[in-house]
Amino acid sequence: MSTREALLPARYHNAVERWRETFIPDFDYLLEQWPQHFPKDPQFKLCAYRECQVCPHIECGQDKGKPKHVRAATMAPEQAHHLFGAIRAQASTEFGSIQQHRLTLARATSEEEQVWVLRMMAEELRHGYQMLHLLVEDDWSAVAEDSADDLVEGILAMQTGSHILGAFNIDFDSFLDNVVFCALIDRVGKYQLTMQKISAYKPMAESMPQMLREEAFHLATGVVPLRRLMVSAAKDEIYVTTTDVQQTINKWLPRGLEMFGDERGGGTNVRYGLKPKKNAEAQSEYVAEVQKLIDDLNMRFIRARLPKLKLAEAEALRRRVIEEGETVQGIAPEDLVRMPHPEFFRRRGVPAFQMVGFAGERFQRFRDYAHHLRQHLPSAYLAGRDFRDYLESLRQVVHGQISAVEASRRMPTLRRVAGSCPCSRAVRWVRDEPLEPSQPQAGEPSQPQTADAVT
Amino acid sequence: MDDSTDGVRVRALDTIDIGAVTRIDERIGGRYRPEVWERRIGYYLRRDPEAALVAEIDGEVAGFMLGEVRAGEFGLEEPTGWIEVLGVDPDHQGKAVGRRLAEAMLEHFRARGARTVRTLVDETMGDVAGFFERLGFEPATLKPYVKSLA
Repeated sequence: MSTREALLPARYHNAVERWRETFIPDFDYLLEQWPQHFPKDPQFKLCAYRECQVCPHIECGQDKGKPKHVRAATMAPEQAHHLFGAIRAQASTEFGSIQQHRLTLARATSEEEQVWVLRMMAEELRHGYQMLHLLVEDDWSAVAEDSADDLVEGILAMQTGSHILGAFNIDFDSFLDNVVFCALIDRVGKYQLTMQKISAYKPMAESMPQMLREEAFHLATGVVPLRRLMVSAAKDEIYVTTTDVQQTINKWLPRGLEMFGDERGGGTNVRYGLKPKKNAEAQSEYVAEVQKLIDDLNMRFIRARLPKLKLAEAEALRRRVIEEGETVQGIAPEDLVRMPHPEFFRRRGVPAFQMVGFAGERFQRFRDYAHHLRQHLPSAYLAGRDFRDYLESLRQVVHGQISAVEASRRMPTLRRVAGSCPCSRAVRWVRDEPLEPSQPQAGEPSQPQTADAVT
Repeated sequence: MDDSTDGVRVRALDTIDIGAVTRIDERIGGRYRPEVWERRIGYYLRRDPEAALVAEIDGEVAGFMLGEVRAGEFGLEEPTGWIEVLGVDPDHQGKAVGRRLAEAMLEHFRARGARTVRTLVDETMGDVAGFFERLGFEPATLKPYVKSLA
């Protein structure tokens, strides 16, 4: 197992460095703190890492066993189109998450957690750099209208609100968003990177191993502080309650589920050897992992609240509270966190705009569902544009003014309107134009979809 | 790493396994130490996540092993694989869980360029020493010394 380093051409490398100065202003602080918080760890380096000796043969799909593609030009047009969309979208997510994390980084409750998130942001920058490297070093002109210059500029010019995936267009409101995002959204990233490790496009497969190594720590950056917050909540420290944690999970989990793409899709990626699993299969495995995380958080709460309990007693208590709905030794069901129903608060995929409640209950009236969401989502999020736009789209769906499919496609997309500096704020918050009838509709799994193949 | 011969499946440790590792440690040692494992697992996932492994039986975590490749320890300049923590749930001892974990770990160490693997074993824990000897480990000349500063 060995890796080689590669750099972008100087003008692109410098553009990423300038982007970093804008969106990670505390980068120098991270380097200062590095020896104290990460002694013996190699210093951060902005470069692309390529794993040597990845499997040279396509590992799934119709071309299984054939040599992996080393150039996009040898791929089938639709295959290259899917792959290009995935790389571009993944680059968007990497840069997008940094823009989100920086909003509330200063509100971290401990220096350690702040430095962890800061390191994670630097590594996300490197992941974005890695994806730009894939876009720049190959010729994508068969499937991309933009030049390499325009591709890089377009990605670096994206802002929260103009990224490709919904999860990266939502503002953070507190440090709880930072840690829940790492615990839930980075976990989706882990799935996507793991699947792309077998990509039929060899440069993609070579890019995944180092990213996955770094992603393992990103998950810890979320899960470990989250566990500590559950302890604080158990001890009735007033800063964070389990209600806060629950509502933040409710805010992010639906977006995480949608990152897998439409539940009916993913077959094209498997057929072309780009991923080994269809969307629904990967999504259901993710749901099982999040359920484990939630069980674990609850055990952390119970044992912090009742430290004299033995392991088996604590496990029995958790089951009684969660499964039977009992209050046991002062711990009530609302003291613990639960997994929202997978169809709750969805705007893409099969359950999009279906008004499914937190526990899976179905609502008929818009007003009732809006009230239900208000009870289950963080108040700061309710006041933001993302929720406002969702609710407005839902209202129109319920009143028959637009279809759920049309509402699903109302995602902000990038429109460059001026400027050439990659760090310029040259992007406006805009919506897709209404679809022409002949255009593919969201939810059609056989059609290429950006959200079908992305991190 | 994902094969499941003997019903034991070895995979990379994930943060959602912190609770399971804490549980196994508690079952072995009788102490509940979640903070210790949050910190240590955070460390190993940062340093070398592929050298942080768990073994599952029927979907439940039955054991774990933590290690890393380092150079420069105690004057040993060559890259050396260090096995630093091993835990097997008492209910699953004798089912080759430790052996499967060690095999996967050694394979990873080789891939990372290590030609030697080392560990430290408390002589009072004869079962652990026997475990490593059955894997082909031999006593080394490097002997630990300790002095209390209390």
